[in-house]
Amino acid sequence: MAFDWLNKFHHDMEKGPDYAVKTLAAYRLGMKAKGSIVGVVVQPAPNCCDLARNLPAGKVYHPDHAPVLPLPNCPQGRRCGCVYRPAMTYQQAEEG
Amino acid sequence: MNSMAGVLLRVPLFKLYRQFDWPRMLPINLTLSPSPKCNSRCLTCNIWMKREDELTLDEWDKVLASLGRAPYYFTISGGEPLMYPHVVELTQLTYEHCRPGVITIPTNGILPTIPERVERIARSCPKSQVIINLSLDGVGEKHDFIRGVVGNFKKFEQRLEQLLSLRSRLSNLTVGIHSVVSVFSVGHLDEIIAYAHQSGADQFITEIAEPRVELDTVGLPITPSPEDYAKAIDRLIAYVESKRFTGLARITEAFRVEYYKLVKRILDEQDQVIACYAGWVSAHIYSDGTVWPCCVRADNLGNLRDHNYDFKEIWFGEKIKEVRRSIAAKECHCPLANASYTNMLHDIPTLARVGAKVLRPGNKRQQTAIADTPRPAPTAEMVAKK
Repeated sequence: MAFDWLNKFHHDMEKGPDYAVKTLAAYRLGMKAKGSIVGVVVQPAPNCCDLARNLPAGKVYHPDHAPVLPLPNCPQGRRCGCVYRPAMTYQQAEEG
Repeated sequence: MNSMAGVLLRVPLFKLYRQFDWPRMLPINLTLSPSPKCNSRCLTCNIWMKREDELTLDEWDKVLASLGRAPYYFTISGGEPLMYPHVVELTQLTYEHCRPGVITIPTNGILPTIPERVERIARSCPKSQVIINLSLDGVGEKHDFIRGVVGNFKKFEQRLEQLLSLRSRLSNLTVGIHSVVSVFSVGHLDEIIAYAHQSGADQFITEIAEPRVELDTVGLPITPSPEDYAKAIDRLIAYVESKRFTGLARITEAFRVEYYKLVKRILDEQDQVIACYAGWVSAHIYSDGTVWPCCVRADNLGNLRDHNYDFKEIWFGEKIKEVRRSIAAKECHCPLANASYTNMLHDIPTLARVGAKVLRPGNKRQQTAIADTPRPAPTAEMVAKK
């Protein structure tokens, strides 16, 4: 993948207090407006908590049902390195 | 200082600033994103999904007043900037406070109100060069597919015709075509070049699709492979070099070729090939008032609402220092066009190559590119025009 540094950088950014609300709202709108987004994936950080590690890998959630990041009791708080990623139709086509 | 000469005079000062944190300078290249709202549904961008607590015009007025005459180059970005209801007023405020040399506005060309808005902008900023770049990612249905809007290409052609007609009456208006080279379009770049060549537009520019925090595309596979990009871009370089340019266009095109070569190196080497001046010379103000060094990293340097709308408080504050350290330490690299052109202006070897190229007498016209480039299949509109 090109620009791996940015992926890592994004994981390392401090999250705003409304990170989950804003990101999931954006994806919800994207799905409603029939863009190429099909859902949201949680991408755990390499040093994530047990709760995050136990999330089903690569699962595509509807934004209404996605876990709220940072997960409850995450020891890193807003420094939690787990992120949401949009799941796009063309990725599914590639994987499928 | 809103002349190109003023910009060049500041180059050595910015080099000092980057190295020694002195003399303190405001950026010359600013991107404003008044709203993320967009009526495109591009495969390469997710910004249209966002909603923000946008700065009001009154707030923009204060921010722009705090910048004074320092910026030379403004980009009014989006979302779709010409859909933003106050885009004319925002541009007028920019002109009133900053008197920039250049104001660039990209557009998807969808809305029928675009020509009227562009005319009002160009007329109200008579001493600035206003550049409107229409997005084109394919010819015909390929464009519609990538942009996610049925009928977009037809509207693009209508808008291009209208803007070219406007250009003939407004001497400070430039109309360009802008193409994002992504995994979805890299295979038909030749076709886009051929289309742009016959379109009558003043310029054809491309930018590689790279992931950006701003666009919520981090981690998405939208960037072409270095090999695919190199193959496509070599054709584009051959095309640019096959054309004869005079005056300012000759300099612009020489920089453009340098940019394409720079992108190839960045993709190959995965490194900040030349020093990046984002955070010193260029900056981005997002719609909610957050200041970023660039839209790729989108580090939150502070929100203007928390700093009495004074850009200087953020630019000369403490928080930006760590970001500048990170950029100078090459902890990031990207081919973002907006920043890259500024960076090239501060890179002596690039300046020397551009200078040599521009000064070389009688650039021999090469006849290779366009002749070998497949012509696009004619659209109904093109046939009708003929």
